[in-house]
Amino acid sequence: MMNKIMKPHVEAELRSFVGTDVYIHSEATSFVFVRNFKIHVTHAYIAGDGPFRAALRFDGHGWLRMEALTHYEIAGDGRLLLAGYDDRGRMNAALHIGKEPFPE
Amino acid sequence: MNKPVDNAPKRKLLAVFAHPDDESFICGGTLAKYAGEGVEITLVSATRGEMGRRMGNPPYLNRETMAAAREIELREACASLGIRHLLFLDIRDKTVEFTDPGGLAGRIEDLIREVDPDVVLTFHETLGGHPDHCAIGKAATEAFRRMGHRGSLYFISFGNAMERPERFGYSRKDVVKIDVRGYLKEKLAAFRAHRCQTEIDEWVWLPDREALSRFGGYEYFLKGNREVPPRVPHDLF
Repeated sequence: MMNKIMKPHVEAELRSFVGTDVYIHSEATSFVFVRNFKIHVTHAYIAGDGPFRAALRFDGHGWLRMEALTHYEIAGDGRLLLAGYDDRGRMNAALHIGKEPFPE
Repeated sequence: MNKPVDNAPKRKLLAVFAHPDDESFICGGTLAKYAGEGVEITLVSATRGEMGRRMGNPPYLNRETMAAAREIELREACASLGIRHLLFLDIRDKTVEFTDPGGLAGRIEDLIREVDPDVVLTFHETLGGHPDHCAIGKAATEAFRRMGHRGSLYFISFGNAMERPERFGYSRKDVVKIDVRGYLKEKLAAFRAHRCQTEIDEWVWLPDREALSRFGGYEYFLKGNREVPPRVPHDLF
């Protein structure tokens, strides 16, 4: 079940990935998705008062930044799922972080 | 009294579509009608619709839960429409057009051979309206033609667009118009089965009478093998 983002909680979850290798699913729903790219996370951030912005720095040379995030779920197996929905349940964006690859 | 129809071979229909809900939203009345007349229907969905944008209203799905949820919804819709056989090609939603076309057509050829349908329904390869629709339609059409299958091929169409087929370069004789007015309850039940996709549409959840009044009374199909002599203009079989 997707819950509305509680910033301190999500921030702690995001930071738990710092220093580890993770798989990412990221999408701007109507335009692009990237599934299962693997990165080594060096920094993790969340900002805003809702909708929220999240960012990862990785591999010593990269950024991933996403905005419009509204909901999250801690899905087990070390997976954090962030998503942005509009006021009628349509997805605008998603950022999923997992220790293992997501099903292709 | 003899009822020769009892001894007639069972009529069969194979529908090759892209996403869960294509069968209900586009031609649910026709599928319910033929199922009700005893036609054995096999539905093939290329994907599980797992990259959809509608996540329930309020949202309860995410990318990782969507495939399983939509499969369950599709099974319920199939039950509402009377579709007895459901298969998935396990292609990721939004990637059908990037799947090897020859291999895809080959898989559909195998299915046509196995099911041996009298009627094959799929999307038109350019009028399909979504890249996945056009890609699965192109592959199914290729498969049907490559094997020179005995049955009839039809392309599904949206709403009443084919009431005026001239706008798409076709004529009336290319169109079969199916009266589905007796099967709108089944169609509405199938719409409601696809809950995560229809919760956003308030009209679907109005009292039955009001919701049913939103449906057109006819569904339209474009003939895919024009070389076949014209049949009854109001029947796919």
